[in-house]
Amino acid sequence: MKLQIINEIIKKKSSNQKFALLTNLTNGNNEIFEFGKLLSNDFESYKKQIENYHSLKKNGIIDDTQIFIQNFTKPIEVIVVGAVHIAQYLVDLFKNLDFEITIVDPRKYFITQERFPNVKIINDWPEEIFKKLQTDSSNALITLTHDPKIDDPALKHALKNKFFYIGALGSKKTHTKRCQRLKESGFTEEEIASIHGPIGIKLGGKSGPEIALSIVSQLVLEFNKLLLNSKK
Amino acid sequence: MKRQVKRTILEQAKDWFESEKKVVLARVIQTWGSSPCPVGSYMIVNDKGEFSGAVSGGCVEANVIQECLDLIKNNNSFKQLEFKVADDNAWDVGLACGGEIKIYIEKINS
Repeated sequence: MKLQIINEIIKKKSSNQKFALLTNLTNGNNEIFEFGKLLSNDFESYKKQIENYHSLKKNGIIDDTQIFIQNFTKPIEVIVVGAVHIAQYLVDLFKNLDFEITIVDPRKYFITQERFPNVKIINDWPEEIFKKLQTDSSNALITLTHDPKIDDPALKHALKNKFFYIGALGSKKTHTKRCQRLKESGFTEEEIASIHGPIGIKLGGKSGPEIALSIVSQLVLEFNKLLLNSKK
Repeated sequence: MKRQVKRTILEQAKDWFESEKKVVLARVIQTWGSSPCPVGSYMIVNDKGEFSGAVSGGCVEANVIQECLDLIKNNNSFKQLEFKVADDNAWDVGLACGGEIKIYIEKINS
Protein backbone atom coordinates (compact mmCIF):
# COMPACT_ATOMS: atom_id res chain seq x y z
CA MET A 1 0.00 0.00 0.00
CA LYS A 2 1.29 3.40 -0.91
CA LEU A 3 2.14 5.79 1.92
CA GLN A 4 0.02 8.37 0.13
CA ILE A 5 -3.08 6.22 0.77
CA ILE A 6 -2.16 5.86 4.47
CA ASN A 7 -1.78 9.66 4.67
CA GLU A 8 -5.13 10.13 2.99
CA ILE A 9 -6.83 7.75 5.45
CA ILE A 10 -5.26 9.50 8.47
CA LYS A 11 -6.40 12.87 7.14
CA LYS A 12 -9.94 11.75 6.36
CA LYS A 13 -10.30 9.97 9.69
CA SER A 14 -9.17 13.04 11.62
CA SER A 15 -11.75 15.19 9.85
CA ASN A 16 -14.47 12.60 10.53
CA GLN A 17 -15.20 11.81 6.89
CA LYS A 18 -17.08 8.76 5.71
CA PHE A 19 -15.15 6.68 3.15
CA ALA A 20 -13.88 3.23 2.33
CA LEU A 21 -10.57 1.64 1.40
CA LEU A 22 -10.76 -0.72 -1.57
CA THR A 23 -8.16 -3.40 -2.22
CA ASN A 24 -7.87 -5.53 -5.31
CA LEU A 25 -6.65 -8.81 -3.82
CA THR A 26 -5.35 -10.13 -7.15
CA ASN A 27 -2.91 -7.29 -7.94
CA GLY A 28 -2.60 -5.50 -4.59
CA ASN A 29 -3.90 -2.13 -5.79
CA ASN A 30 -5.58 0.10 -3.24
CA GLU A 31 -7.93 3.01 -3.69
CA ILE A 32 -10.05 5.34 -1.55
CA PHE A 33 -13.78 5.23 -2.24
CA GLU A 34 -16.32 7.96 -1.52
CA PHE A 35 -19.82 8.41 -2.90
CA GLY A 36 -19.63 10.27 -6.19
CA LYS A 37 -15.91 9.70 -6.70
CA LEU A 38 -14.67 8.23 -9.97
CA LEU A 39 -12.97 4.87 -9.64
CA SER A 40 -10.04 3.46 -11.59
CA ASN A 41 -10.33 0.44 -13.90
CA ASP A 42 -9.45 -1.89 -11.03
CA PHE A 43 -12.71 -1.12 -9.29
CA GLU A 44 -15.06 0.70 -11.68
CA SER A 45 -16.92 -2.40 -12.87
CA TYR A 46 -17.84 -3.28 -9.24
CA LYS A 47 -19.10 0.20 -8.41
CA LYS A 48 -22.70 -0.83 -7.68
CA GLN A 49 -21.65 -3.58 -5.26
CA ILE A 50 -19.07 -1.30 -3.65
CA GLU A 51 -21.74 1.37 -3.07
CA ASN A 52 -24.05 -1.24 -1.62
CA TYR A 53 -21.44 -2.54 0.86
CA HIS A 54 -20.49 1.01 1.77
CA SER A 55 -24.10 2.02 2.49
CA LEU A 56 -24.48 -1.03 4.73
CA LYS A 57 -21.10 -0.29 6.38
CA LYS A 58 -20.21 -3.86 5.55
CA ASN A 59 -16.52 -4.84 5.55
CA GLY A 60 -15.37 -7.84 3.55
CA ILE A 61 -14.58 -9.44 0.23
CA ILE A 62 -17.39 -8.45 -2.11
CA ASP A 63 -19.35 -11.53 -3.28
CA ASP A 64 -17.94 -13.20 -6.40
CA THR A 65 -15.06 -10.75 -6.66
CA GLN A 66 -11.53 -10.32 -5.38
CA ILE A 67 -12.28 -6.83 -4.07
CA PHE A 68 -11.94 -6.17 -0.35
CA ILE A 69 -13.76 -3.21 1.12
CA GLN A 70 -13.02 -1.66 4.49
CA ASN A 71 -15.31 1.12 5.64
CA PHE A 72 -14.36 4.07 7.77
CA THR A 73 -17.38 5.66 9.35
CA LYS A 74 -17.94 8.91 11.14
CA PRO A 75 -17.51 8.37 14.89
CA ILE A 76 -20.55 8.94 17.07
CA GLU A 77 -20.56 12.34 18.74
CA VAL A 78 -21.46 12.41 22.41
CA ILE A 79 -22.38 15.74 23.94
CA VAL A 80 -21.87 15.98 27.68
CA VAL A 81 -23.57 18.81 29.54
CA GLY A 82 -21.76 19.58 32.78
CA ALA A 83 -17.99 19.75 33.15
CA VAL A 84 -18.18 18.02 36.55
CA HIS A 85 -15.80 15.33 37.84
CA ILE A 86 -17.87 12.50 36.32
CA ALA A 87 -17.26 14.11 32.93
CA GLN A 88 -13.52 13.75 33.51
CA TYR A 89 -13.92 10.01 34.05
CA LEU A 90 -16.19 9.80 31.00
CA VAL A 91 -13.40 11.29 28.88
CA ASP A 92 -11.03 8.56 30.08
CA LEU A 93 -13.51 5.76 29.39
CA PHE A 94 -14.52 7.03 25.95
CA LYS A 95 -10.88 7.40 24.90
CA ASN A 96 -10.56 3.86 23.58
CA LEU A 97 -14.04 3.64 22.11
CA ASP A 98 -14.96 5.06 18.75
CA PHE A 99 -16.83 8.06 20.11
CA GLU A 100 -16.06 11.77 19.86
CA ILE A 101 -16.86 13.72 22.97
CA THR A 102 -17.78 17.39 23.39
CA ILE A 103 -18.22 18.91 26.83
CA VAL A 104 -20.41 21.95 27.34
CA ASP A 105 -20.99 24.04 30.44
CA PRO A 106 -21.94 27.69 30.94
CA ARG A 107 -19.97 27.80 34.19
CA LYS A 108 -16.50 29.05 33.36
CA TYR A 109 -14.78 27.76 36.51
CA PHE A 110 -15.82 24.17 35.68
CA ILE A 111 -15.00 24.08 32.01
CA THR A 112 -11.28 24.73 31.70
CA GLN A 113 -8.76 23.18 29.35
CA GLU A 114 -6.66 22.30 32.43
CA ARG A 115 -9.47 20.09 33.71
CA PHE A 116 -10.13 18.70 30.24
CA PRO A 117 -6.86 18.57 28.32
CA ASN A 118 -7.21 17.54 24.66
CA VAL A 119 -11.01 17.52 24.78
CA LYS A 120 -13.37 19.70 22.77
CA ILE A 121 -14.97 22.03 25.35
CA ILE A 122 -17.53 24.80 24.84
CA ASN A 123 -18.17 27.40 27.51
CA ASP A 124 -21.75 28.51 26.82
CA TRP A 125 -25.38 27.72 27.56
CA PRO A 126 -26.64 24.56 25.80
CA GLU A 127 -29.41 26.62 24.20
CA GLU A 128 -26.84 28.81 22.43
CA ILE A 129 -24.54 25.92 21.56
CA PHE A 130 -27.26 23.84 19.90
CA LYS A 131 -28.12 26.77 17.63
CA LYS A 132 -24.68 26.33 16.07
CA LEU A 133 -23.99 22.60 16.34
CA GLN A 134 -25.25 20.26 13.62
CA THR A 135 -26.92 17.36 15.36
CA ASP A 136 -29.14 14.41 14.42
CA SER A 137 -30.10 10.87 15.44
CA SER A 138 -26.43 9.81 15.39
CA ASN A 139 -25.75 11.97 18.43
CA ALA A 140 -25.91 11.10 22.10
CA LEU A 141 -26.54 13.40 25.05
CA ILE A 142 -25.45 12.97 28.64
CA THR A 143 -26.56 15.65 31.11
CA LEU A 144 -24.69 15.81 34.40
CA THR A 145 -25.50 19.13 36.08
CA HIS A 146 -29.00 18.17 37.34
CA ASP A 147 -29.67 21.90 37.22
CA PRO A 148 -32.87 22.42 35.18
CA LYS A 149 -31.77 25.70 33.67
CA ILE A 150 -28.67 24.03 32.19
CA ASP A 151 -29.89 20.46 31.54
CA ASP A 152 -33.47 21.02 30.36
CA PRO A 153 -32.76 23.00 27.17
CA ALA A 154 -30.24 20.33 26.14
CA LEU A 155 -32.73 17.52 26.84
CA LYS A 156 -35.44 19.29 24.84
CA HIS A 157 -33.09 19.74 21.91
CA ALA A 158 -32.02 16.08 22.03
CA LEU A 159 -35.63 14.87 22.17
CA LYS A 160 -36.67 17.07 19.23
CA ASN A 161 -33.69 15.92 17.18
CA LYS A 162 -34.18 12.25 18.12
CA PHE A 163 -30.71 11.58 19.55
CA PHE A 164 -30.17 7.80 19.74
CA TYR A 165 -29.21 8.05 23.38
CA ILE A 166 -30.29 10.58 26.00
CA GLY A 167 -29.29 10.12 29.61
CA ALA A 168 -29.81 12.45 32.54
CA LEU A 169 -28.03 12.27 35.87
CA GLY A 170 -30.09 12.81 39.01
CA SER A 171 -31.98 10.90 41.66
CA LYS A 172 -35.39 9.32 41.04
CA LYS A 173 -36.98 12.35 42.69
CA THR A 174 -35.03 14.78 40.49
CA HIS A 175 -35.95 12.74 37.44
CA THR A 176 -39.66 12.67 38.30
CA LYS A 177 -39.66 16.46 38.54
CA ARG A 178 -37.72 16.68 35.30
CA CYS A 179 -40.28 14.48 33.52
CA GLN A 180 -43.07 16.69 34.87
CA ARG A 181 -41.40 19.82 33.47
CA LEU A 182 -40.90 18.18 30.07
CA LYS A 183 -44.53 17.09 30.05
CA GLU A 184 -45.60 20.67 30.74
CA SER A 185 -43.42 21.75 27.82
CA GLY A 186 -45.47 19.51 25.53
CA PHE A 187 -43.38 16.37 25.17
CA THR A 188 -45.27 13.08 24.98
CA GLU A 189 -44.91 10.34 27.59
CA GLU A 190 -43.20 8.15 25.03
CA GLU A 191 -40.63 10.80 24.26
CA ILE A 192 -39.99 11.44 27.94
CA ALA A 193 -39.66 7.71 28.60
CA SER A 194 -36.85 7.52 26.05
CA ILE A 195 -34.62 9.47 28.45
CA HIS A 196 -32.44 7.20 30.55
CA GLY A 197 -32.99 8.59 34.02
CA PRO A 198 -31.58 8.06 36.51
CA ILE A 199 -28.74 7.55 34.07
CA GLY A 200 -26.63 4.41 33.73
CA ILE A 201 -26.99 0.66 34.11
CA LYS A 202 -27.15 -0.65 37.66
CA LEU A 203 -23.62 -1.48 38.74
CA GLY A 204 -24.28 -0.75 42.39
CA GLY A 205 -21.41 1.71 42.74
CA LYS A 206 -21.54 5.31 43.88
CA SER A 207 -18.05 6.64 43.10
CA GLY A 208 -17.40 8.96 40.16
CA PRO A 209 -15.52 6.41 38.04
CA GLU A 210 -18.19 3.77 38.70
CA ILE A 211 -21.01 6.11 37.69
CA ALA A 212 -19.06 7.06 34.56
CA LEU A 213 -18.57 3.36 33.76
CA SER A 214 -22.30 2.67 34.21
CA ILE A 215 -23.13 5.56 31.82
CA VAL A 216 -20.63 4.46 29.17
CA SER A 217 -21.90 0.86 29.42
CA GLN A 218 -25.49 1.98 28.89
CA LEU A 219 -24.59 4.15 25.92
CA VAL A 220 -22.55 1.39 24.27
CA LEU A 221 -25.38 -1.09 24.89
CA GLU A 222 -27.95 1.21 23.25
CA PHE A 223 -25.59 1.92 20.36
CA ASN A 224 -24.96 -1.78 19.70
CA LYS A 225 -28.70 -2.55 19.84
CA LEU A 226 -29.24 0.07 17.18
CA LEU A 227 -26.43 -1.28 15.05
CA LEU A 228 -27.80 -4.81 15.29
CA ASN A 229 -31.30 -3.66 14.28
CA SER A 230 -29.99 -1.71 11.29
CA LYS A 231 -28.28 -4.86 9.97
CA LYS A 232 -31.39 -7.06 10.19
CA MET B 1 -10.23 14.25 21.46
CA LYS B 2 -9.22 10.99 19.89
CA ARG B 3 -7.33 12.57 17.09
CA GLN B 4 -5.17 14.60 19.46
CA VAL B 5 -4.58 12.07 22.21
CA LYS B 6 -4.55 8.62 20.72
CA ARG B 7 -1.92 7.99 18.11
CA THR B 8 -3.55 5.57 15.78
CA ILE B 9 -2.00 2.44 14.34
CA LEU B 10 -1.84 4.05 10.91
CA GLU B 11 -0.05 7.10 12.30
CA GLN B 12 2.44 4.74 13.87
CA ALA B 13 2.90 3.02 10.49
CA LYS B 14 3.60 6.39 8.90
CA ASP B 15 6.15 7.26 11.60
CA TRP B 16 7.94 3.94 11.17
CA PHE B 17 8.00 4.31 7.42
CA GLU B 18 9.32 7.86 7.61
CA SER B 19 12.09 6.80 10.00
CA GLU B 20 13.18 4.38 7.29
CA LYS B 21 11.84 1.22 8.80
CA LYS B 22 10.22 -1.30 6.50
CA VAL B 23 6.54 -1.75 7.35
CA VAL B 24 3.90 -4.37 6.53
CA LEU B 25 0.16 -3.92 7.10
CA ALA B 26 -1.82 -7.06 7.99
CA ARG B 27 -5.63 -7.02 7.75
CA VAL B 28 -8.35 -9.54 8.55
CA ILE B 29 -10.26 -9.90 5.26
CA GLN B 30 -12.50 -12.90 5.97
CA THR B 31 -13.65 -14.90 8.97
CA TRP B 32 -15.65 -18.10 9.50
CA GLY B 33 -17.13 -19.28 12.78
CA SER B 34 -16.03 -17.58 15.96
CA SER B 35 -12.98 -15.42 15.54
CA PRO B 36 -11.84 -12.79 17.98
CA CYS B 37 -11.16 -9.90 15.62
CA PRO B 38 -13.78 -8.81 13.09
CA VAL B 39 -13.10 -8.29 9.38
CA GLY B 40 -11.22 -5.04 8.92
CA SER B 41 -9.08 -5.39 12.06
CA TYR B 42 -5.45 -4.64 11.42
CA MET B 43 -1.94 -4.81 12.70
CA ILE B 44 1.37 -3.34 11.55
CA VAL B 45 4.78 -4.99 11.72
CA ASN B 46 8.21 -3.47 11.06
CA ASP B 47 11.53 -5.02 10.03
CA LYS B 48 12.62 -5.15 13.68
CA GLY B 49 9.65 -7.38 14.49
CA GLU B 50 7.88 -4.64 16.47
CA PHE B 51 4.10 -4.67 16.04
CA SER B 52 0.98 -2.71 16.91
CA GLY B 53 -2.71 -3.60 16.62
CA ALA B 54 -4.21 -7.10 16.46
CA VAL B 55 -5.67 -9.61 14.03
CA SER B 56 -6.69 -12.27 16.57
CA GLY B 57 -6.75 -12.76 20.30
CA GLY B 58 -3.06 -13.62 20.31
CA CYS B 59 -3.65 -16.96 18.54
CA VAL B 60 -1.89 -16.28 15.25
CA GLU B 61 0.03 -13.04 15.79
CA ALA B 62 3.44 -14.71 16.08
CA ASN B 63 2.91 -16.48 12.78
CA VAL B 64 1.62 -13.34 11.05
CA ILE B 65 4.66 -11.38 12.27
CA GLN B 66 6.97 -14.04 10.81
CA GLU B 67 5.09 -13.94 7.49
CA CYS B 68 5.39 -10.14 7.45
CA LEU B 69 9.15 -10.36 8.10
CA ASP B 70 9.45 -12.88 5.25
CA LEU B 71 7.50 -10.57 2.96
CA ILE B 72 9.91 -7.70 3.76
CA LYS B 73 12.82 -9.92 2.68
CA ASN B 74 11.35 -11.17 -0.60
CA ASN B 75 10.23 -9.42 -3.78
CA ASN B 76 6.48 -9.83 -3.40
CA SER B 77 4.43 -6.90 -2.23
CA PHE B 78 1.45 -8.78 -0.81
CA LYS B 79 0.27 -12.23 0.32
CA GLN B 80 -2.85 -13.94 1.68
CA LEU B 81 -2.63 -16.11 4.78
CA GLU B 82 -5.20 -18.56 6.06
CA PHE B 83 -5.47 -19.93 9.58
CA LYS B 84 -7.72 -22.78 10.63
CA VAL B 85 -8.64 -24.37 13.91
CA ALA B 86 -5.69 -25.77 15.86
CA ASP B 87 -5.28 -29.54 15.77
CA ASP B 88 -4.22 -31.77 18.66
CA ASN B 89 -0.63 -30.75 18.27
CA ALA B 90 -0.65 -28.34 21.19
CA TRP B 91 2.02 -25.99 19.87
CA ASP B 92 0.69 -25.78 16.37
CA VAL B 93 -0.39 -22.33 15.25
CA GLY B 94 -4.13 -22.05 14.89
CA LEU B 95 -7.25 -20.68 16.40
CA ALA B 96 -8.19 -22.34 19.67
CA CYS B 97 -11.64 -20.80 19.37
CA GLY B 98 -12.54 -22.99 16.42
CA GLY B 99 -12.79 -20.18 13.90
CA GLU B 100 -10.99 -19.61 10.64
CA ILE B 101 -9.51 -16.38 9.38
CA LYS B 102 -7.99 -15.05 6.20
CA ILE B 103 -5.39 -12.32 6.56
CA TYR B 104 -3.99 -10.12 3.81
CA ILE B 105 -0.51 -8.71 4.32
CA GLU B 106 1.02 -5.98 2.18
CA LYS B 107 4.14 -3.84 2.21
CA ILE B 108 3.88 -0.10 2.65
CA ASN B 109 5.83 1.67 -0.07
CA SER B 110 6.38 5.23 -1.26
